[in-house]
Amino acid sequence: MAYRDFRDFLETLQKEGQLLTIEDEVMPEPDLGSAGRAISNVSDQSPALLFTNINGYRDARIAMNVIGSWPNHALMMGLPKTTPVKEQFFEFARRWENYPVPVRREASAPFQEVVVDGNVNLFDLLPLFRLNQYDGGFYIDKACVISRDPSDPEHFGKQNVGIYRIQVKGKDRLGIQPVPQHDIAIHLRHAEERGENLPVALAIGCEPVITTMAAAPIAYDQSEYEMAGAIQGEPYPVFTLPGTNLDVPWGAEIVLEGEILAGTREFEGPFGEFTGHYSGGRSMPVIQIHRVYHRKNPIFEHLYIGMPWTETDYMVGINTCVPIYKQLKDLFPDEIVAVNAMYTHGLVCIVSTKKRYGGFAKAVGMSAMATRHGLGYCKLVILVDETVDPFNLPQVMWALSTKMHPAHDVIILPDMSVLPLDPGSNPAGITHKMILDATTPVAPETRGHYSQPLDAPIATEKWEKIFQGLLNKQ
Amino acid sequence: MSTCPRCDSKEAGKVSDSPVSGAWTIYACPVCFYTWRSSEDPKFTSSSLYNPDFKVRQADIPKAIHVPEIAQRK
Ligand SMILES: [Zn+2]
Repeated sequence: MAYRDFRDFLETLQKEGQLLTIEDEVMPEPDLGSAGRAISNVSDQSPALLFTNINGYRDARIAMNVIGSWPNHALMMGLPKTTPVKEQFFEFARRWENYPVPVRREASAPFQEVVVDGNVNLFDLLPLFRLNQYDGGFYIDKACVISRDPSDPEHFGKQNVGIYRIQVKGKDRLGIQPVPQHDIAIHLRHAEERGENLPVALAIGCEPVITTMAAAPIAYDQSEYEMAGAIQGEPYPVFTLPGTNLDVPWGAEIVLEGEILAGTREFEGPFGEFTGHYSGGRSMPVIQIHRVYHRKNPIFEHLYIGMPWTETDYMVGINTCVPIYKQLKDLFPDEIVAVNAMYTHGLVCIVSTKKRYGGFAKAVGMSAMATRHGLGYCKLVILVDETVDPFNLPQVMWALSTKMHPAHDVIILPDMSVLPLDPGSNPAGITHKMILDATTPVAPETRGHYSQPLDAPIATEKWEKIFQGLLNKQ
Repeated sequence: MSTCPRCDSKEAGKVSDSPVSGAWTIYACPVCFYTWRSSEDPKFTSSSLYNPDFKVRQADIPKAIHVPEIAQRK
């Protein structure tokens, strides 16, 4: 089942008790950013937030924390909101196999209701606000940004849908951060090599599956829309923006149309990032906006980002684990059990694996670092046995505390690649990486006293079911 | 023209008034691109109160590294 659009998903959240509407007046600053931070602090079962009375605005509605908890992530996938994280991971991985699901093309879109052609003032059109206090400005940080590869414009898979930090720098002028590892940076490079601007569209307020896929590390020539179709189990609806070759999510609330200016870089930031630190003070590309489409009385979606956990971590958690899992599984189909790469977008990654022989788990750790995502992340890879649930941190800590021998199981790899946003990297983009092998030694490694593992009493599973039944009734 | 709280340029200007009149005004600086709303805490709107760790020196702006590098025309 698929959600028609953003409003359809908000209705489901409402029905499921996962949407909190705040009708009391709030100040744009500091209330909206503070509330976005606070809702993740209080629970990992939090509702989405809908603000309907924002000081100074007449009809503005701002939604935040839409995928910001495990229940909301489960509902995004059309699963019961109580689905455990590990089950969400395996279901996501199962649906991933259904790629590609071709898109459904629509002849018109609801966001065509209002068109602002020329004389765009984004500060008047959108309820923009400052998220973290030393952000250099007001950001749009959950828009799906769509672009095509100008050297291969007909290739649908190379059309990219990604989420980037976007600073509103002027009435019709945006700053964008495409770090070189991002697909849109490849599009921009090809455009600049041709001396052309790069047409882009920004879709704000989309149903949550395309947003989740836009934030997933999939291959350059894979289509986020066709992957969204796989995850939601039916074709993803797109609409080709008139006068362009850009396919945008049909259900968007707001669409901004413009182009990245070739050869232009301009001071940007800082912006509070998922690393829990600000980054900025660099010169980045600029988008000139020409046209804005929006529904009447659109809902403006925003996302709080900062020290984990925030909505960002729920949004990118499982969609980061699954591609690493798939790539490891391609290498070692019989051994890899599960991957948890949810810590600071995978800077820390935990892999549960069987062992073929001594030293095998360490090789799995190095393979994780060599996956597409691992090249910029996986600063620390922890290996655990197939019997340890990598999503259960107390179990992972148990494995580290009892299975890992610092003389044998710690490997440090010097001067590896990492994303430049890692505040510990020095120079930015370079760091040592570490493997902690917390699996049980197997032959020919015979060290340690592991021959008498303590299994749970034989009726434990029966009693788990009894207790789960009793607790669910309460 | 207003003074930018962050880089102290005098070129900042109004970019928007609140739809409900009189609630606030948004300003933007064309030098360091800082934007702010008049209703924010003075720590974020006043040049003398802005956190020195986050101040921007106008002389540093042209020296900022390019991310990504501008690709050479082929
Ligand atoms: Zn300034």
